[in-house]
Amino acid sequence: MTGETLDLDKLYAARLHAARVRPYLATALFALRVVESRRVPTMAVDQHWRVYASPAFVAATPEEELAGVWVHEVSHLLRDHHGRGDRVARERGLTGRAERLRINIAADCEINDDLFGDGLVRPEGAVQPALLGLRDGELMEDYLRQFRLGPRTQSLAWLECGSGADGLERPWDLGPDGAHGLSAEERDAVRFRVARGISGRPGNAPRGWRRWADEVFHPPQPWRRLLGAAVRSAVSGAGAGDDHTYGRPARRAAGVPGVLLPGLRRRPPRVSVVIDTSGSVSDTELGSALLEVAAIGRALGGRRDLVRVLPCDAAAPAVHQLCRAESIPLVGGGGTDLRTGFARALGTAPRPDVVVVLTDGQTSWPERRPPCRTVIGLFPRQPPARAWDDDEPPYRQDPPPPWARTVSIGTGPSR
Amino acid sequence: MPTHASVAQLHVADQLLTLLRDTATEPRPDVQLDALTLAVAADLPVLLWGEPGIGKTAALTQLAAALDLPLTTVIASVHEPSDFAGLPIVGDDPAEQGVPMAPPDWAVRMVREGRGLLFLDELSTAPPAVQAALLRLVLERRVGSLRLPPEVRIVAAANPRSSAADGWELSAPLANRFVHLTWTHDHEVVVRGLGGTWPTATLPRLDPERLPAAVDFARRAVCGLLAARPGLVHRLPTTEAQRGGPWPSPRSWEMTLRLIAFATAAEASREALSELVRGTVGDGPGLELLAGIDRMDLPDPEALLADPAAAALPERGDLRQAVLDGVVAAVRRRPERERWDAAWALLVRALETGAPDLVVVPATTLATLRREDWDVPESIERLAGVVSLSRRADRAAARVATAGRVGR
Repeated sequence: MTGETLDLDKLYAARLHAARVRPYLATALFALRVVESRRVPTMAVDQHWRVYASPAFVAATPEEELAGVWVHEVSHLLRDHHGRGDRVARERGLTGRAERLRINIAADCEINDDLFGDGLVRPEGAVQPALLGLRDGELMEDYLRQFRLGPRTQSLAWLECGSGADGLERPWDLGPDGAHGLSAEERDAVRFRVARGISGRPGNAPRGWRRWADEVFHPPQPWRRLLGAAVRSAVSGAGAGDDHTYGRPARRAAGVPGVLLPGLRRRPPRVSVVIDTSGSVSDTELGSALLEVAAIGRALGGRRDLVRVLPCDAAAPAVHQLCRAESIPLVGGGGTDLRTGFARALGTAPRPDVVVVLTDGQTSWPERRPPCRTVIGLFPRQPPARAWDDDEPPYRQDPPPPWARTVSIGTGPSR
Repeated sequence: MPTHASVAQLHVADQLLTLLRDTATEPRPDVQLDALTLAVAADLPVLLWGEPGIGKTAALTQLAAALDLPLTTVIASVHEPSDFAGLPIVGDDPAEQGVPMAPPDWAVRMVREGRGLLFLDELSTAPPAVQAALLRLVLERRVGSLRLPPEVRIVAAANPRSSAADGWELSAPLANRFVHLTWTHDHEVVVRGLGGTWPTATLPRLDPERLPAAVDFARRAVCGLLAARPGLVHRLPTTEAQRGGPWPSPRSWEMTLRLIAFATAAEASREALSELVRGTVGDGPGLELLAGIDRMDLPDPEALLADPAAAALPERGDLRQAVLDGVVAAVRRRPERERWDAAWALLVRALETGAPDLVVVPATTLATLRREDWDVPESIERLAGVVSLSRRADRAAARVATAGRVGR
């Protein structure tokens, strides 16, 4: 260890350069607080937005590379790698220093694949997915499944981005009570401002950052769960399924003379599933849609006779009783007009309580609300809308009608 | 026949149970508990979202004890709509007297006591008709023909959709009437609690002196945001993921206003306020509001320009830069010699008390605002370091550009 002091001016000049070439990250970069530390090998962050810098490392590294390190470290914080690292470690039972190193490496892969270039130099030794034989553009959680520590990662054993990158406290961390840390609320506020800046002028930021900005406060939801909830709530709404009604007195009314109690009646709902089999829906998507049909059938208490499936392209050919999901002949391939599908579904007796439509949305919709609840499972062909930004309404061709409940299927990474 | 020995054993068992029940409380910073007590103090219905078995009920018991309110727990999912809307009772002459709706016993007890904490558990597993009946209870405090007294506070609990095996979800109107708080278990709190010590729920101490200022602050915060962003006033949840959660409407904005006033008067932490605001109007609008409040907290550029010597600049770099940018923008709006000089004095001050790279952009912009007859102030000498820092960054950029060309 040399006794040199931290060259703050050099570090700040590097930060200035970083803020100039990545203006959308300037807020976050300036929110970081520098702490001199001789115990970190290079530079590291903690989850309270402090950056620990080794004087020797700063002295030996040119400004342009330090700028890359600045952006890299702040990316760990913006992308909540400490929170996600902690969660994934808990979920998958990853314990020990080696697993945290793996989390740090996976997080680095997520950040580094589109971080450098365009005015920013890649610091020497920065991990790229290609170094581990992995593809670009995935998330830390996904990378984590795809590699082990071994000869390939041997050279990365020194890698140390601090607790901000993987969630494990380091001996040099000042902790939540130390000076100049950011509270959870302040961290959210900074991330929000950065995300707004990126969403406001999406042209300036690379795709990875735009995706982050769209999802940071609205992470994609597991669509199976949402579709299940939508169908469940549709079949259990008034007029279908089991609910309380004064239409027939309750059995316990006999015990309280003079009091009228409503009864709980169960009438299993009938569900018609219209599947878009036009050419624009892929086989994989249809496969997952069919699995959902089977799941909906089970959700209704196993009464498959209550679920009808209608493959639908321009001429909805046949109505099938759902006997075995695999055996439904899904013929078609032409252009879709779901209006015929709706007409067929509603035309059969007895009339369904709920219509579930699985489609990619490249279709015409009925003009009027059908006389039953409708759930649309949508295979999206466009990036998801930003939920809270009304300045720029997202462009979408012929959106699903507002009277239906729409669930986007298969969007976003699984988290 | 119970023998003497078995009776004695039961007595010992009772003693053991009493010992186990004997727990203490300790003051401990707990954001979610602070948010809960604040919302309850503000008399807004709270909905706690949390996995089953993580101590929602325990927290409510603590809260009731702290507020000195009798706790009434009603499991919504096992009740029928009539238990909340009242049971129709056929009298002697329905045509003459009508059919009265008789309230259930717990409501009668609450009215008799005049105060209490009503805990509606398992709200999300209640069937839609029960939820519809609860709407009236939560909004109008009516149970059948009874009206719950104003001193009754309402807290509900629900399991998130991921864990509710057979849950219905909350209807949008019912969801809009609640402050939604996510209840997660804090490992340390649970361990301390099982060891016999739970965190104390304390009522926020409202400072009577601060009340008018708190109301004024809350109104400025909410109206300032909504005037600039009319689209945020009312937005029904459209995506499936947001259903049954908080969403912005005039009603929930009014609740937000009340919560800000209470949090300000009680000097509650920003974390607690954040939980409350985001739980009332949703994450997006809530974060925008909080960002607006952050800006309100920043020093006024005009005040800084009037007295640069006494200026107190924020410690945090990003906020400090926002203030300096605001100062330069103010000079640009009304360029006068004294204001220009004052801005330079502020930049020097910022340089002496914090990171120099923040000062570069405002200094560059301020320099461009110079009029011909304005002399450069002496204090600018002290900004030489900033200029060299900027040059250093320029050189780094030039090296990157050259390397890029060579590499290609």
